[in-house]
Amino acid sequence: MGTLLARLALIAAGLSALVPVLWTFLNSFKNRVDIVSSVPKFFFTPTLDNYLYVLNREAVGAGLLNSIVVVGAAVIIGALLGLPAAYALARYPLRWGNDIQFFVLSMRFLPPVAVAIPLMVIWLQLELYDTRVALIATYTLLTLSTVIWLAIPAFKAVPKEVEEAGRVDGYGPYAIFFRIALPIAARSLVGAIAFGFVLVWNEFLIALMLTTSEAKTLPIVASELSQLGRDVPWGILNASVILLSLPPLLMVGVLSGFLNAAFKRKREAA
Amino acid sequence: MRSHTTRLPAVFIGPGLLVLAVLALVPTVFAIAISLQDRELGQADTGWVWFSNYVQLFSDRRFLNSVRVSLVWEVLTVSATMALAVLMGTLMHRCTTPRWRQVLSMLFIVPVLLPRVSAAFVWKFAFHPLFGLVTWPYKAITGEPLDLFADPVLALLTVAFVDVWQWGLFFAVIVLKLLETLPPQPFEAARLDHATTWEVYAYVALPMLKAPLISLTFVKMVESLRAFDLIYVMTRGGPGISTETLDMYAFSQGFIESGRISYASSMAVLMMVASTVAFTYIWKWTKPS
Repeated sequence: MGTLLARLALIAAGLSALVPVLWTFLNSFKNRVDIVSSVPKFFFTPTLDNYLYVLNREAVGAGLLNSIVVVGAAVIIGALLGLPAAYALARYPLRWGNDIQFFVLSMRFLPPVAVAIPLMVIWLQLELYDTRVALIATYTLLTLSTVIWLAIPAFKAVPKEVEEAGRVDGYGPYAIFFRIALPIAARSLVGAIAFGFVLVWNEFLIALMLTTSEAKTLPIVASELSQLGRDVPWGILNASVILLSLPPLLMVGVLSGFLNAAFKRKREAA
Repeated sequence: MRSHTTRLPAVFIGPGLLVLAVLALVPTVFAIAISLQDRELGQADTGWVWFSNYVQLFSDRRFLNSVRVSLVWEVLTVSATMALAVLMGTLMHRCTTPRWRQVLSMLFIVPVLLPRVSAAFVWKFAFHPLFGLVTWPYKAITGEPLDLFADPVLALLTVAFVDVWQWGLFFAVIVLKLLETLPPQPFEAARLDHATTWEVYAYVALPMLKAPLISLTFVKMVESLRAFDLIYVMTRGGPGISTETLDMYAFSQGFIESGRISYASSMAVLMMVASTVAFTYIWKWTKPS
């Protein structure tokens, strides 16, 4: 009896995760009349108009390109600088090691609004306001700290004996990083980088404050679609929500693999 | 047997740390400096007014309201997220086959991956008084549309629901994985003592996970500060100012209503100081040295 109730609760929770997203997906293929109906419609003649309209809008194309360039660059810089730093923090006993780790974590405590206001003034003075460069630099703060924080445990999980064996074979400290630690930890590291990607792809407040036209990212463009007058274009809005959400949703496999690996380590350590 | 003097740590940590320090410290110093001036958007001349922005804040009733809303938001979303996570995580651990666990785990990760803007739109539409999927049964039964965003208390609860939906289900997966790391012996021992299943979880399993659960709570406290996107898309702080959090108010002072950058910055600085002090303290306190 209790088990039955528990399963019903779990199914309800599972449906709550899925149904609203599916509903949005369905609505993105509806004509306006099918959306604005007093009874929800599950059967209708699908149309691609919403997607065609969204994809043909200049603002959306520009936003997509900005998102790809800005997020891509910030993630790559974050990984290039973050992975070596995480490795050194994981493997070498440093006097300030714990303080550095705490400093990296504390980046997450900064309220975005407290970072965005001064940065707006700074970028304006440097005449870089509303440019991709400014946004890339700002997002690097997010990706770099996230990558370092999540990659430290991944590097710690590489068996020390393997690295020792490499040293016996005559590998120097750099060769051990590139040819042993990096390949062994690769799967978890991809997960850490994917987290960084989702974080900045979804970022809203900083992009809203640091861009006005040229460098607007996709979340900003999508949020503006709802403000096209009183007559909300629901179909178009739904289509743009789906497009915006696709890249992070494609990461679901990578990220659940990352979680599994992280907790498997824990289980084996216990 | 580390090869005695390698410069690897400096070479590897130096650049990353330098970039982080510049990107974090420069804005922080600027934020404080701006908050001591009377800078406004589109005005060239600025002067130092020192603490007058801060003094003004404490007689600004809208600011005090936003502090209250932020605190309510923090307590509400953190406690509801943890409650949902522990409940759903335990239910999954107790009552599902491995295959179902996998399916549910995948599903439960979906909401947190959605951009906040998307999550906000998805639910804003589901709660739409006229065409919403969730509000439809109410409308069908009573004949009246249900407008959750018209009532101050319901509006805040509705936005908080979306936040808890995103994080609570994700954390449920983590609680499940934490429970899976526990050894089976305590479960068996408690069962021999004729403890019921729920007693086993409440008095044995969950207390063993106290440390990671506290860390999770900490993570959620930090993440709950980032409510802006949801509130901006769903209510814009309304009705009235009933869902206006600190960051929402700072944003509207700085950018929408008056362009008072310095005033907005003084709020942001207070928020930064309060959260950094609080989180540093909580972190050191929960971390067994």
